[in-house]
Amino acid sequence: MPNLVSTDYLLSEQQQLLLVALLDTLIPASKDGTMPSAADVDFKYYLSMQAADFVADLTSILGQLDPAFPDLSLSERCDQLTEFSASEPQAFQNLLSRVYDCYYQDDRVRSKIGVVNGAVFPQGNQIIPGDLALLDPVIENASRHSYRKA
Amino acid sequence: MAEDVVDVLIVGAGASGAAVAWSLVDTRMRIVCLEQGDWMNPAEYPSNAANWESQSFGPYNIDPNVRGLDTDYPINDSDSDVTVVNFNGVGGSTILYAAHFPRLHPSDFKVKSLDGVADDWPIDYDTLEPYFAQNDRVMGVSGLSGDPMYPPKQPPLPPLPLGLVGETVARGFNALGWHWWPSDSAIISQPYEGRDKCLNLGPCMSGCAQGAKSSTDITYWPEAIRRGVELRTRCRVREITLNDDGFADGVFYYNADGEECFQRAEVVVMACNGVGTPRILLNSTSNRFPNGLANSSGLVGKNLMFHPVGTVQGLFEERLDSHKGPQGCCILSKEFYETDLERGFVRGYHMQINRGAGPLNTAMTGYINGTIPWGPDHHDAFRQRFDHVASIGIVGEDLPEEHNTVTLDPALTDSDGIPAPKITYRYSENSRKLIVHGLARAEEAMRAAGAVDIISDGPKPVAGYHLLGTARMGDDPEASVVNHWGRSHDVRNLFIVDGSIFVTASAVNPTSTIQALALYIADTMKINLANLFD
Repeated sequence: MPNLVSTDYLLSEQQQLLLVALLDTLIPASKDGTMPSAADVDFKYYLSMQAADFVADLTSILGQLDPAFPDLSLSERCDQLTEFSASEPQAFQNLLSRVYDCYYQDDRVRSKIGVVNGAVFPQGNQIIPGDLALLDPVIENASRHSYRKA
Repeated sequence: MAEDVVDVLIVGAGASGAAVAWSLVDTRMRIVCLEQGDWMNPAEYPSNAANWESQSFGPYNIDPNVRGLDTDYPINDSDSDVTVVNFNGVGGSTILYAAHFPRLHPSDFKVKSLDGVADDWPIDYDTLEPYFAQNDRVMGVSGLSGDPMYPPKQPPLPPLPLGLVGETVARGFNALGWHWWPSDSAIISQPYEGRDKCLNLGPCMSGCAQGAKSSTDITYWPEAIRRGVELRTRCRVREITLNDDGFADGVFYYNADGEECFQRAEVVVMACNGVGTPRILLNSTSNRFPNGLANSSGLVGKNLMFHPVGTVQGLFEERLDSHKGPQGCCILSKEFYETDLERGFVRGYHMQINRGAGPLNTAMTGYINGTIPWGPDHHDAFRQRFDHVASIGIVGEDLPEEHNTVTLDPALTDSDGIPAPKITYRYSENSRKLIVHGLARAEEAMRAAGAVDIISDGPKPVAGYHLLGTARMGDDPEASVVNHWGRSHDVRNLFIVDGSIFVTASAVNPTSTIQALALYIADTMKINLANLFD
């Protein structure tokens, strides 16, 4: 997979450590263990296949993080990212949208939240037809609800 | 070599261009349609891929300035309260529309007589009724007969599923004693005319991979082409030319290679929507029309109307499966459609119940409005909201005002060098009051339905879905651009069939009425074929 390899080369070992900590801060695993951390979905594959245009911005963001970021507690990492989001709101929002985009495409995540895995077409979704007897009050009050004559 | 002259040249292959071509083909005239965009390939629509949500932020964005395809033209909306939404391609904006398909009401054609504002149309609901019905059949419309808010009508297909969202909000309306009804929807609920039924994919507004949504590339166009209409894509019209007798005699356009071409024609029909049509007319200047073609009234590009839009999101404890099913087609309420001066504004609005968003949209919107944080609390907040939300859209009537305009931008151009449109638009005080009222009533409905948390937003800026009024119809040549059957007062072989000719905007999504108008104008042209230019 040449794209994946090239993406790996774009991020140094230190940057990859920072990225894992960053992802794990933005979406940690759920307390009950049912939802994975964003660090557990394949963000590097996402970067190579769907978001190559974001690599430069990501590298820049990683460069602005404290080199000791991976060693901080979750609470301390959250504090640092809150500061970053306040000072660089556009960059942070762009980062977040990419992380969410990747995370909520993951089949394990989708299965847990009740969304069709992969493409929604052609599988589609089932929804209840609904009870048209709910219209009875509208029909009974048709004279009050009738259209205005012109 | 003999000069190539077509009988009818249609500019634009969207909602109205498709309908007028389909109808005029009965005449066996030679009909050519020029479309600046391409044919769409449903196999490339976002719902074919896992990243269907993020694609709607980019290549399938509803905003042409964000989408930025080379088939698009830029729109300067820096001086507008509202951003224009459109799509350029075969099918036009029906490719990305929600397909919510209500008709205008009888009262919408007579607002001057009934409420003393704006102007009456020169035609009425009864004039268009047969064309509404014809259009419903060709497009494939799902709905339920018996809505007391309309004269009798019979949608050809049964309604789309209400789903839990529709049922929940309907119970709220019932608790308040308000009107509601399943929406007429240009989405087929059963197999119809060789197309398969809706699969409840969800992302209708980035194209329908199933082909259940009735965009004109899969409804009107296949039959029109089979019967002889020639549709040329990647042909961007720059201007309409005029002969010495004051008749339109053709158009200059650029082909896919950017080469300037000229197509001569006996009749020109404009079908480029309420922004595209005035843009081309204003760019078609001559000694006879120094301020733009067919513009002796000075009204080309004026009276631009959108619909002011607001949204109210209700959060429910029970799961509503709200990311499933057609986004914009569920139920509607016309409880506040007509004027009641005690509300502090004239005319009214309808409530369009929308289903919820997918997971990416839910998470990002939650971040922006502060309901779903990133970090350790993300999952709990996401679980509370995702699939637990119903939305009410307020769609209000926008009254015509001459200071709301489409003009030509002095500097900005498209990739062929054609001046881009510039939008100058301000919400009126009436529109703002209307939206405030609508948001409050929608909140009331959500509370009655059992919502535990409510978020209101409006008037919204990205709301230029409906582009209307910039070449209005009327009987008085000094107060209108086209007559009661779409023919220019000034240029007797020039017709306009799109939303430009709306006199007033109504408070409903306009595509059904735009297409009924196009069919009506085509039929009137056919009836008057022997003396079309008299």
